[in-house]
This record gives sequence, C-alpha cells and structure tokens, in this order.
Amino acid sequence: MKKRLLLIPLALLLVVSLVAIGCEAEEEKDSILIGASRPITGANAPIGDAAFGPIMALWEIKINDAGGIYVEDYGKSLPIEYIIYDDATDVGAMVRNTEKLILEDEVDILFSSCGTAFISAQAPVANKYGMVLVTAEGGATIMRDALYGLPYVFVNLPFSDHYQLPVFADMCAAAGAKTAYMITIADLHGVEYGGVAAMEFDRVGIQVLANKSVPITYTDFSLLVKDAMAADPDVFCVFAYPPIVIPVTGEMMVIGFNPPAVIMGPGGNFGFYGATFGVEAIEGVSCFAAANSKTGPEFERHFSELEALVGWPNLDWWGTPFYEPICQMWEQAIEATGTLDQDTLRDYFATHHFDTLLGDTYYEMFGEGGGLMVKETHPGEIGQWQSGIVEIVGGGDWPGVVLTSEWIYPKPPWPTP
Amino acid sequence: MPESIVTILDIAIGGLLLGGIYALIAMGLSLQYGVARVLNIAHGEFIMIGAFSTFTLYTVLGINPLVCLAIVGPIIFIIGFLLHQTLFTRLRIAAPNPGAYEASSLLAAFGLLFVIQNLALLGWGADFRAYSYLNFGVNIWGAIFSANKLVILGFAVGIGVAFYLFLIRTRLGKAIRSAAQDPQTASLMGVNINRVLSICFGFGALMAGIAGVLISMRVPLNPAMGLQYTLIAIIVIVLGGLGSIPGSFIGGFILGIIGEVVTHFEPSLSLAAYYFIFMLLLLVRPKGIFGK
Amino acid sequence: MDITRFKSKGFFIPGLISLVLLILLATLPLSLGGYTVVLVTTILMYAILTVSWVLFSGPSGYMSLASAAFFGVGIYIGALLLPNTGQVLPLLVVVVLGGLASSIVALGVGALTLRLRGIYFAIFTFGLVVLILEVLNWWEHTVSHIRGRFVMVVDNETIFYVMLAIFVATMLTFFFLRRSKFGLALQSIGQNEEAAAHSGVNVTMVKVLTFALSAFFVGAAGVVWATRLTYIDPYIAFNFFLSFLPVLMAIFGGIGQIYGPVVGAAIFAYLQETLQTEFPEVYMLTFGIVLVVVILYLPNGIVGLIPKLWRRISGGQHANT
Repeated sequence: MKKRLLLIPLALLLVVSLVAIGCEAEEEKDSILIGASRPITGANAPIGDAAFGPIMALWEIKINDAGGIYVEDYGKSLPIEYIIYDDATDVGAMVRNTEKLILEDEVDILFSSCGTAFISAQAPVANKYGMVLVTAEGGATIMRDALYGLPYVFVNLPFSDHYQLPVFADMCAAAGAKTAYMITIADLHGVEYGGVAAMEFDRVGIQVLANKSVPITYTDFSLLVKDAMAADPDVFCVFAYPPIVIPVTGEMMVIGFNPPAVIMGPGGNFGFYGATFGVEAIEGVSCFAAANSKTGPEFERHFSELEALVGWPNLDWWGTPFYEPICQMWEQAIEATGTLDQDTLRDYFATHHFDTLLGDTYYEMFGEGGGLMVKETHPGEIGQWQSGIVEIVGGGDWPGVVLTSEWIYPKPPWPTP
Repeated sequence: MPESIVTILDIAIGGLLLGGIYALIAMGLSLQYGVARVLNIAHGEFIMIGAFSTFTLYTVLGINPLVCLAIVGPIIFIIGFLLHQTLFTRLRIAAPNPGAYEASSLLAAFGLLFVIQNLALLGWGADFRAYSYLNFGVNIWGAIFSANKLVILGFAVGIGVAFYLFLIRTRLGKAIRSAAQDPQTASLMGVNINRVLSICFGFGALMAGIAGVLISMRVPLNPAMGLQYTLIAIIVIVLGGLGSIPGSFIGGFILGIIGEVVTHFEPSLSLAAYYFIFMLLLLVRPKGIFGK
Repeated sequence: MDITRFKSKGFFIPGLISLVLLILLATLPLSLGGYTVVLVTTILMYAILTVSWVLFSGPSGYMSLASAAFFGVGIYIGALLLPNTGQVLPLLVVVVLGGLASSIVALGVGALTLRLRGIYFAIFTFGLVVLILEVLNWWEHTVSHIRGRFVMVVDNETIFYVMLAIFVATMLTFFFLRRSKFGLALQSIGQNEEAAAHSGVNVTMVKVLTFALSAFFVGAAGVVWATRLTYIDPYIAFNFFLSFLPVLMAIFGGIGQIYGPVVGAAIFAYLQETLQTEFPEVYMLTFGIVLVVVILYLPNGIVGLIPKLWRRISGGQHANT
C-alpha cells in the first residue's frame, strides 16, 4: 500500500508527458487557423446549429473558393481552416476548449461560443490571453457593463435595452396601449428583459400589471395564460425560450386570449415558430427581429443562402444578420492590417468602420475597454408575423432603419378551430 | 359560474391534466425501479424518442399522433426489453448484492442517457421541432382546457387502469408482482425471473414512449428534453412510495395539483416546491405517502 | 493514530520518492507551459472530486450524489467573494471559506439524512443539487436581481498551485484517514451499520464528520474553479453532471486502491479531452458507450484490471499480487 502512494504522481506525470509528446512542431504558414468551441451536443445544440454555425460554414466556402484572405505579413493569400471543439453545452468545457485553442492549437482567430452565459465566460478568458473575441449568439446589459475591463471583446447582437425594448415600448405607447402583462423565464435572461421592460413601459406611461416568472422546465402554462387574460392587458410579453413560448402560444389559442399586442422572444423570431402552428394562425404575433429578405438585396442573398443550407424553419430574423458581419469584419480587418497580430487587429476593430451586410458597421468603445456594435447598425428591432413571414415593423429613429411593413395593432384574432 | 369557483376549477382540473402525464411517466419508472431495480435515469430519453418518432411520423408521413401510439409503443417496448436482457441482466447477475446492482444499474443508465440522446442528435439533427395537434379549447363548467391535454389525461388514466388490471388479473401480472416482492422466491416458484424483469423494464420504457407521443402534441422537442421528465418521475415515485405502482399513479396527480397551486401563487417556485416536498418526504416518510 | 509507523523505513522511502515526484509535478507543467497547466489543473480538480467522493462513499457504502452541490457552493462563494470588480479577501482565505461553507452544508445534510439508506440517500443528495439550484435561481432573479456574476481573473499558474495544494491535502487526508481508527470505524459502518453501532462506534458522528470533511475539499476546489470559469450563474455553478462524474471516475479507476481514483480521474480527463477535440460530433455518444462498457466489463476499474492482466501475462506465477 505504501509503495503505491508514489503511483499517484506517476500517473499524473504520464499524462503530462503524453500531452508534451502531442505538441506539434512549427510548420510553414499555409492557412488561417480559426478556433471555436461550439455546442455540437447538449441543450444549446439547436441554437448553435441555426445561428452562427451555418454562417461559419458559408463563409468557409466563400473565402476558400476565392483563394483565401490576403495577409501581407505572409505575402500570400491564406485559406481559412476551422478547429471546432464540442463543449456539450457546458461552460467548464467551453472554457477549457477555449484555452486549448489559444494555448495549444495556437489559433490565429478565436470565434465565439454560443449563448449569453457562454460568451460572458469566454470574454474574460479571451481577454486574458489578448485574443480578440467578436461575440455571436448572446448579449446582455451585464456584458456591456463588463466591457470596460475587456479591451479585446466586441459584442454584436442587439439585446434588451440596446435597442429592442425602448423601441417596443414607444411603439406600444404610440398605438395607445395602457397596460402590459409579462411572463419571464425564471433565469437571468428573464431578470434582464423583465427589468428593462418594466423601466421602458414606465417611461412611456404603460402600467405593468404583473411580471410572472416561470422555471425553464415547467410545462404547464394554462393557469398563467388565464391569469393574464383575466388581467386584460393591452400588451402581453413572453420573454422566454422556445420551450415556453410555444406552449404559451398554444394556450392563448385554446382560451382565445387575444390582446392587442403580443410579443414572444426569443422564439417568435424563428421559422419553426411559424411552422409549428401554421403561419396563418400566428398572424400578428410580434417578436424581436432585425431584418428579412425585403430589407435589401444583400439581406435577400443572406437569407436565401441560409435557407438553402439550414431550411426555412431554422431561419432567425433576429440573430443571423449580426453574425455574418463577424466574418466580413474579420476578413476586412486582416486584409487592411495585413497581419494576424491580435493587438493590431484589436485596434483596427476599435477604431475603424467596416462595410458589411449591415452597411456602415462600427463599435462604440467603452473607455479603454471593448466595444459594442452601435445601435445605428440595427436595421430594425421588432418584427411581426404578417402573411407568412416576419416583417420588420419597428426600429429606432436613426438613418439606416428599414421597416418592411406597418405594425398591425391590434393584432387579428387567433383562428377559430 | 362565479369567478372564484372557475379559478378553483382551473387549478384542480389543470392539476389533474398536468398530473396525468406525470402519473404515466412515473408509473413507467416505478415499474423499472420497483420491480426491475433499475433507477433508470435515462427514462426521459425514451420519452424523447417517443416524441421525435411521432414528430417524424406525423409531419413526414402524415400519420395521426394517436395512431402513432400503436406504432411507437411496441417498438419502444422491444428496445427496452432487449436493453434489459442484454445490459441490465448482465449487471444483475454480476452484482454481489442488490445494493450493488442498484448502484451499477443507475450508473449504466446514466451512460445510456448519453448514448440515446446523442444517437437521436445524430439521427434527427439538433433543430427545434414542434407541431400543433388538437389545440382547441373545451369548456368544463366555465374553465377552458385544450383538447390535447384532455386526450393526454384520458390515455394516462386508461393506461394506468388497464395496467393495474393486467397486474392483478393475469398470470404474467401475478409473476411481476411476486417478482417485485421477492425475486428469490419468485424464481423458486418457477417464474423466469430474467424474462419477467425484462418485460417490466420494457413496459416502463413503453409508458415513457407513450408519454413522449402525447407530450409531443404540446411542447417543442429537443434531444436534451428528457432529463426534466426523469426528475419529475423520480419525485413522483418517491411521493408515491418507491415501487408502488398505484402509489406513483396517484402521486403523479398529487404532484400535478401541487404544481398548479404553487403556480397560482408564485409560479417561479413551482419546481423548487417539487424538490422541497421531495426532500421533505424522503426525510419524514421515505416510504412515500402510500408505502407501508 | 499510530505515529511510530510513519517513522519506519517502509514508509520513509516511498514517501521521499513521492515527494520528489510531487516536486517534479509541481515544476514540470510550468516548464512545459501553456495548455499543459490547464489540463493538469483540470485533472487535479477531477481527482479532488473523485478522492473526496471515495473518502466518504468508498468505505461507508453510501452513494453520495451531492458532489455537484458542494462544488457549486464553493463556486458561488468564489463568485461572491472574488468579484471582478475588486478583491475582497485573499484567494487562499476564500478557498478555505468555500471549503467551510461546503462542510457546513454537508453537516446539515448528514445530520438530516441519518435515516436514509441505499438508493434513498443517493436520490436525496441528488435532489439537494437541484433544490439548491432552483432556490438560488429564484433568489437571484427575484431578490438580488443579478443577471450573472463575473469573477476575478487569476493567472493559470496560481490556479494550478492552489489546486495542487488542495489535491495534496485531499490525498494526505485520504491516506491517513484510511488507516486511522476513524477510517476503520467508517469501514465497519459500511460492512454492517448495526454491528458497528453495537461495538461502540459513534455511527452518527463518524458518518457526518467524514461527509463534512470530504465536502471541504470539493468546496475549496469549487472556489478555484470559479476563477477559471470567470462567469457564474446558478446553472453554471450547480451542474448535476459533476455529481455523477466522481462516481464514474472512481469506478473507472477502481476504489479498492488508494491510487485508483486518481488514475481514474487522470485517464478520464484525458479521454474526455481527446474525444471532445478529435471527435466532437460523437464525443458525448462515445462517452456514454465508454461508461456503459466500463460498468459492464470493468467492475473493479482500470486499476483492478492491471493485476488481472499481469496474472494472465505471467501465467499465474504472481497470483498473489
């Protein structure tokens, strides 16, 4: 027994040396290595597969068919090459994958993980190693507050007060709504949307009748929807995920609860929301959405490429218009600076404007810290299901906003069975 | 009807409707644990398989979800039966004592959870899937409920009662009951214990599969959806007394009503209330409400 | 405890060799640098979880699924006391506090669950993880209104050394406890609790104290882990997967030997790493298959396999090993 004590460090040493052997020798640069930890399995897999995942796939084909990106430091065009690890929707695994990508694989570029909690954990890690992180699926007020200390982090996706809910509150007030009822998911996403919505509704003089939060795995919503119906609000908000948004919509149809404005998000912004009930049934439901194919010719290309790859039910009119620019900005930054040096690239991201799908694209910088994509890039904030598609019906008061249709208020009644 | 009575009806009937699905899932797990001694943490994965199969059969082939019950149920029964014949029987024979078997079968089931979930992920892909079926209101004394929920309740009660009759009326049912009480004696009495346990496990999987078919009418599907139902089922079988099939049937309804009452007052605590009651019960009355 | 035994030659030489190896282990990752430090830290974390689990559940026979709860308590203590906005207390103090907090939870749980045996204890401890998660989640979104907590960023070397220190403390405790009166008492509870009680063992005290002691190391590791995760919310902190992982790693390595759990954790971490990065599409699937296969074919773990193989290779000459 006593002798065996020394086997413990031996076992660990064995592993350490195995890792050391695994280290590869330096080779001549023949590609731009891009590393990403993505939820290939686990609960976030449906999101990853429909959002930044297909954008990455399309970009790889596009760049490599064109012969790569010209990098002056190497005096040639380099194709891009992905190293993608599965984090199985586990933050711990994502952090370890990220460190492996940076330290062992020595990737040239780090791509975003998937989900607000994930990018919140990935941002300080990337920042610690001085790797630029342009985030994809996720964004939150707490991320923005943290940006002051995260100079290498750039956040893209619009979120609650940037500028979805202020726009939505204005729309509701302009339409004459007086009261609102909210169902929020009982997690930190719900805290944020519930809190920001309460402030925004208060600002425009809409009274919040209730804010009921529900745990993510609860499955029965008839009582809540009945409670909401009894409160008779003008605006009914469901700030939750698809597993709640879909049954709540179903219950509303069952009891015929049809308030003048209904907003469902995240969830209402995906094709499968329409596919579930049939697009005629959900006519008039609002959601968070930035653009559709009618926003402009580039957007038409964007959505048709995606539809060909992932199918209509997986289209997302909120997120993907902000994910394609991630790739476009990287391409432009590398070509302009002629390097893969992270500090040079970071400064380029911080100080330059890009020409992307969203038009003139740039970041608002937070002190010496990171950046948040300015609201002026948002072509829209609020969408509404109209005649089978999500029309963009609400946006800010800045130029560049493209509304594809008028907001229908009050929404038409649910179909009768 | 006065409004307060309608609210009480909403809570009570709503609780029964929610409880129906809990009861069905818990009965399945109760069979697997109470008789076959497998605390099957992969129980929810059979629900997921049932739900995904139904989605495909309904949206691709246009087969009515209720007809799917007859297709999906037997297939999942066979999968469960074979799993027990191969994996769990082997573990049972190798285990030195029943306690060791309970531990090793729990861990094997934990492995199965990942195997089934990820096979589904590879087979069906990770997309969110949902469809709508029988989603219209039925008025019960002023309280309105969706038809699909009533159908789910009907099937849960029907299957529960049918299974209870099967247990007390048929020879196989008697064999299952004697195996549940005392496997050694049962095998001495000429019961093929391995086959009986595998049938129980298969029936447990079948109930999960049927629950999955029914659930798919109401909630979006995702390969990782199973675990939440497994947790509910574990709570219910503790509530009803580990191993008691009528106990888990009634326990499902009790939990459903508890869920709706808590939701009425503070919806965000509905799941916390489940776990609180579950742990309190374990401490105060580990044999469950109906245990002896 | 028999002090003279440790002065004997039989202990001194392997002890010295262990020390040398430990020093090597403490310096080698740094000379290799980079990702090796991260990987070894992860292995150490797994090993702490596994050895702590074995510390209590191995001899007593109570299958605890509370590891994730103790780890989560440590993570949360780390998130509360080591915010990115400014350090309140030194890291090592918080590590001890995290360990103590987990111990207190374990004391409470241990005292409450005296009546529970077998699978009841397992599901109670598992329920604990989800209950704390739900209540904490409710607290964060209705009382504190905090959307998530950023944690101070600590450099990898510091994390590694603190984790190594906790690991060494865990191993030493494990080693000495096994051979102490206390450990033997725990063993006798595992064999027959009634008989142990009759022979004068204070069953309650031994069980509860060992449970609390094992939770200490898990909680301490949780604090360090929080600084690696850098962002914490209740779902991240209370990951039920980590309740099963120590059990599986212990079985993987075999709990019969003191080094079994460590070997299990090391091989497991390496396997996870390889699958996740080389075969991401089938990582979780393969993981599940490996679990089932290990439980089916290696009931004594990998360490249990070695003597068996040895016997086969050497044709039974060393049948007594």
